[in-house]
Amino acid sequence: MSESIPVGRVIGTDPATPLEFWVAVAEGTFLQLDDVVVVERSLPGRDDPIRIYGMVADLRVRHEGARFDSDVFLIEDGVLPAQVTEAAKVLATRFEPEVFVPPVPGQMVRKAVGKERDEALFFDGMERKVPVGLSRDDEVVYANVEFLDGTRGAHVNISGVSGVATKTSYAVFLLHSLFTSGQLGAGTHNTKALIFNVKGEDLLFLDKSNRNLDPEQAGRYAALDLPAEPFRSVELWAPPRPRDPSAAPRTGSRAHGVTSFFWTLADFCRDELLPFLFADAEDERQQYTIVVHNVTARLRRDATPLDDGGVRIAGTTCRTFGGLIEAIRERVEDAADQPDWAGRSIGGGTINAFVRRLYAARRDAEHLIRGDVPNPVKHRIGMQAQVTVVDIAKLSRRAQRFVVGVVLRKTFQDKEETGSREPLLFVVLDELNKYAPRDGRSPIKEILLDMAERGRSLGVILVGAQQTASEVERRVIANSSIRVAGRLDSAEAGRPEYAFLPTAQRQRATILKPGTMILSQPELPVPLVLEFPFPAWATRPDEAGDADGGEDGGVGGPDPFEGLE
Amino acid sequence: MKRFESLAIEGWSPEYGSPVEMEREEIPAEQVDAGVELPEGEWRPLPSDEAEAVPGRVYFIDGVRRIEARVWMSAAGDPSLGICASYAAGMVRCGRKAEIVAAEVRRGFFGRAGVPDLVTRVGTFAASPVAEDDIQQLINGLQERMGQLEVKVAGGWGATRSRGRSARVGLGSDSNGANPPLHPGALMLMDGPLRGGQRIPGAIGYVKTHRVQYLTGAARAVVARLAARERTPLFLIQAKWTRYSWYLRLTEARGHPWAGIVRCEAWPETELEQVRKIADATAVVLPRFASEPHKDDRAPQNLYPIAGLERELHHRLGDRGVVFRALHQAARAYRATG
Repeated sequence: MSESIPVGRVIGTDPATPLEFWVAVAEGTFLQLDDVVVVERSLPGRDDPIRIYGMVADLRVRHEGARFDSDVFLIEDGVLPAQVTEAAKVLATRFEPEVFVPPVPGQMVRKAVGKERDEALFFDGMERKVPVGLSRDDEVVYANVEFLDGTRGAHVNISGVSGVATKTSYAVFLLHSLFTSGQLGAGTHNTKALIFNVKGEDLLFLDKSNRNLDPEQAGRYAALDLPAEPFRSVELWAPPRPRDPSAAPRTGSRAHGVTSFFWTLADFCRDELLPFLFADAEDERQQYTIVVHNVTARLRRDATPLDDGGVRIAGTTCRTFGGLIEAIRERVEDAADQPDWAGRSIGGGTINAFVRRLYAARRDAEHLIRGDVPNPVKHRIGMQAQVTVVDIAKLSRRAQRFVVGVVLRKTFQDKEETGSREPLLFVVLDELNKYAPRDGRSPIKEILLDMAERGRSLGVILVGAQQTASEVERRVIANSSIRVAGRLDSAEAGRPEYAFLPTAQRQRATILKPGTMILSQPELPVPLVLEFPFPAWATRPDEAGDADGGEDGGVGGPDPFEGLE
Repeated sequence: MKRFESLAIEGWSPEYGSPVEMEREEIPAEQVDAGVELPEGEWRPLPSDEAEAVPGRVYFIDGVRRIEARVWMSAAGDPSLGICASYAAGMVRCGRKAEIVAAEVRRGFFGRAGVPDLVTRVGTFAASPVAEDDIQQLINGLQERMGQLEVKVAGGWGATRSRGRSARVGLGSDSNGANPPLHPGALMLMDGPLRGGQRIPGAIGYVKTHRVQYLTGAARAVVARLAARERTPLFLIQAKWTRYSWYLRLTEARGHPWAGIVRCEAWPETELEQVRKIADATAVVLPRFASEPHKDDRAPQNLYPIAGLERELHHRLGDRGVVFRALHQAARAYRATG
């Protein structure tokens, strides 16, 4: 159905430019925001007309013939003749062939449907396209996979106010779409995702179907050609309960299928994890950072691993984090060991600053770094399932930074070692402003920057989110091919980080409802407003249905997806 | 010396003059019969609140004209003056909504016999010969053509479909066929006095200015005593053409005693009783359309629908500069044929 419907004509009372023009909407038809239109123009010396595609960015209706505001009452009383006129502002998206001329006033404008709509939004040229949502008129909106998987670009950045912008939900929906649309090709099965759950328990039920998913919402999945089902392969990791000798996972309402994670003291020493306990460990202005690095190097050299993750340092056996930092303190304060451990000619004040910080970290980290639990390998985040969720919601800020930093470095290093882009790894991380703030340096920021800049070639795709993009390191955002905005705070929406949104869309971003996002991708000059369906997976314990795609198989009855590939 | 009791600012903008001219032209008393409805001695303001039938629809007809250029035509060294003018006529229907239901634009080339059609980019200025080429005659010719167009617009309504509608916003021609006939019991008002040569049956003339003094003495005093929505008794004018007339007041008098007074005219072919009903109806209906001073320079007499129609018609005449340019071009390119 390439025969599209005429909706109006280009007006001549406002100048038409190649990038922006106004269309008077004919009586008996209508246009709404985000509608896609096409207008043709013949040029001398060319046989075929040029097709100018565009998207409705704004609409206005007014009384023609009225001069005063109060004329509206006269008009409605049948006293003054006037006419209602409606006009739509169109932002051009594509010229086919590429001759950048404005449309001519009077030209007939048609609504682009079917093939023409695909052409207008560049969907026709996308070899692999993943559905990313539905437009207002329930048409599928796609993103080019080549800008997601690293072929031509990578990384997604999502901004929006907490609570209403549904940033994490959208990130998870994107993963669902990537995993189930088949557009990643043969590698789909090995593609993995690492998700950090930073708030509440939203992401701890990804493997459960959502019993609140009504048929209408399920139908939207069908419209997107995606299955309305939870994630099939999910592993859940939670930190151990503090002061629990058996390191049972600290979980809330999700009781089954959660494993606790921690690092052994041996890991801590061998993998040089000490700097991750300090937010400003990369800050050269801080004197004590030299001590941090010296101690880290010493631990790596001198710590001998024991069974069950403990270490022995020069005769001292450490089984707990408390024991380890005690051993460290003794050595940096001891006059004989000091040059070896802290470094030469380090002042007493600097040593004290280091020790003070070390002890401050104890409370936050002692249950995460230990050598007192048998068979610690079981508690190492292994990422065997397709989706790995690491719950850090209940940890302190320092512990959150530690976990995110250590896990990211490990996965990034592992990918570096394999040296190939495939299989892809998607990393979902909310609150980027905490981990990669615009100002200052920290080990974790370095990793995120590295990931943003080199992840594309290594197949590590960062799906980052934050409330305020203006507070996140510019290079992290600049490297994201796909940018998404949910509901924005109006002060935030005015900042230059959102210049990718045209003015009308910036205003609109301040009133977006949950479930509506604006997505910008490199090929399209105009961001697209889209809606994504209600999650097919549970986001709360009371939503969790019987279906259980998890591997524990503990809860519930028969699996409705049994037998599905 | 006489002491003035009060002062009042004339509501009309000074460039329009005043609705009441001080140098009035009187017409011979025998041409006015003030006793057709009430004997002259019993004249009083007639309240019309109890008018039997209030028309559901009111039609307003008006025309506008604009002289685009004066043209000198030379034949064997003998120059002769002509004018190129655009004129338009239209009709508003005020029912539940006020709608312009007809609007037509014409362009004419007025001059002595032999004046040609002038084809321009914006349309053809049709040859419109007049007897003499002095400017007043040319303008009279233009006025006459405009009057004819008004008749056509009014008459076209109910008989053939008007072209006005298709000029509205739309993609193609709207083919809604013939226009519906005038609503029975509707009023049809022409802006200006009735003219004998261009009779529209059933039309009522609507006169905003009072240059001719039709009434004298006690009858004239009744006009000043009218309250809003009151009218004078009918009187018959037997000048060049015979018609009934009556005064009515649109709004409460502000300032001077003749403020807000208009005069209506009706053709005498209808029975007196019918004319009386029409007059009552005008006194009820017209005040609704009276304009406010801050919105119209000729408030309240210049009625909203007519002002709106005039604006629209002026607009449809096109941009003056564009037309002027087109005329220049056409005149340069003009070559006598045949």
